[in-house]
Amino acid sequence: MSFAERMLHIDRRLIFLLIGVCTLLPLLYPVGLAIKVSPEVHGVYDYIEALPEGSIFLLSMDYDPASKPELYPQAVALLRHAFRKNLRVIGMTLWLPGTGLAEQVMTKVAGEMGKVSGKDYVFLGWSPGSGSLIINMGQDLYKAFPTDYYSQPTRELAVLKGIQTLRDVNYVVSLAAGTSGIETWYLYGKDKYKFELGGGCTGVIAPGLYPLLRSGQINGLIGGMRGAAEYEVLIGQKERAVAGMDAQSATHFAIILLVILCNVFYLLIRTSPKQGEAR
Amino acid sequence: MSFEMLLGAWVATGLTLFIFTFLYQDNPLFKLAEHLYVGVSVGYTIVKTYDTVLIRLIYEPMVTQGDWSLLIPLGIGTLMLARYIPKGAWLSRIAFAFIVGVGSGLAIPRIVSSFILKQVEDTVRPLVSIVQGAPTFTYNLMDPTSNLNTIVLLIGVVSVLFYFFFSIEHTGPVRVAARTGILFLMVAFGAAFGYTVMARMSLLIGRLSDLKEYAVPQYGRASLWLGLATVVTLFLWSRRREEPPPDQQ
Repeated sequence: MSFAERMLHIDRRLIFLLIGVCTLLPLLYPVGLAIKVSPEVHGVYDYIEALPEGSIFLLSMDYDPASKPELYPQAVALLRHAFRKNLRVIGMTLWLPGTGLAEQVMTKVAGEMGKVSGKDYVFLGWSPGSGSLIINMGQDLYKAFPTDYYSQPTRELAVLKGIQTLRDVNYVVSLAAGTSGIETWYLYGKDKYKFELGGGCTGVIAPGLYPLLRSGQINGLIGGMRGAAEYEVLIGQKERAVAGMDAQSATHFAIILLVILCNVFYLLIRTSPKQGEAR
Repeated sequence: MSFEMLLGAWVATGLTLFIFTFLYQDNPLFKLAEHLYVGVSVGYTIVKTYDTVLIRLIYEPMVTQGDWSLLIPLGIGTLMLARYIPKGAWLSRIAFAFIVGVGSGLAIPRIVSSFILKQVEDTVRPLVSIVQGAPTFTYNLMDPTSNLNTIVLLIGVVSVLFYFFFSIEHTGPVRVAARTGILFLMVAFGAAFGYTVMARMSLLIGRLSDLKEYAVPQYGRASLWLGLATVVTLFLWSRRREEPPPDQQ
């Protein structure tokens, strides 16, 4: 067996180990590689930045714990930005398994920014229906959510004063790990109730959402952990996502190297004299 | 630090490490974590659905606010359960018909409007811009709205459509167009794969970040102790598997 053949039959657990080491080392010893902010992330940031104080910002955290590493940092960064701008924040989720996670991030960020539930923000929790829930919210927010997550009647909450339907919301951002998510909010929400819509998503679904960005159906897109890191840079609070970018670069470098090496080994096998004789 | 936080950190660390052991090979620790995940997810879903749907959206509005109109959707929904009664299973068709009818009615026009017409509109942008009365052509490939990119997009859409056009044989100019379509598809698959790699690595980074966080003394060095315990357990389990059964000794 030639060297190339031996390398192509290498125990795959060694590759897992290599990727693990490439991820762990930059986390333990950060390098601090530069992060350039992309226009699509700027789109979301600029829109929130331009909103006047007291505007209504709805953050729909449409993900479950499986997507936490990518979307949790996005939620933290967006909420910090919104609270810093003194926007009135409505939090909710279309994903039942993500309810606890969404409540945790709202409470945590609101607590550190000194915001009060019911006065500065409200967490509505989850309600079934996705598309029909959005339509319901577009007709009457209080019918869709008669109470908030903590069983407080929504009609009595100061933060929702003057809001009747989704038409009264200034900006909606959906942080999506799949369907239901950004597309659902566009389909049943923005298209009919004409609010501005931005998005944040996992890396897996990001390529499928770029057509919506180009056509102006969404005004910005925060893609994966990379997008979260860019947003952290924009708000000047570098945390988990930025810390993970060195590891991201190292693993990408390792994977590119492995792909090139594999192709070289395949080429060597195909062009070796032994292979030629066999033909 | 509260006991709940400490316990949560130890449980999260242990389950993460147990799941990671699958990279070595399938083993009882992985099975334990896998079964726990399935059980907890289903239990959480059932409890949240019961609390939100049955209590908050149905029971409380009916009993405390007297909104008895909710009996209509409740009745239609209950018909679904007729599937479990063979003689009355036909009743569930009423509920299914309602769901399919309303769902299709709501979704089809909006999907056509949002994802077909809007996207077609975006594809057929002017190939040349008129700036201050004079035709101009922008070449910036980094700008998605440049005229050059509009042409690239148009070629991509048309050639990919040709590739999926099977009514005529792919020969001559049609073959060239279809081959160009394959190139565009390859670029799209490459971009999707690149993003997928990034996403999967992000998940690994997320778990390893947590393990790093839980390795500090405040958490009782959970990652280190549980990591050690996991390695020892795997080692003992592997040794036990290698031993021949008593009847073969």
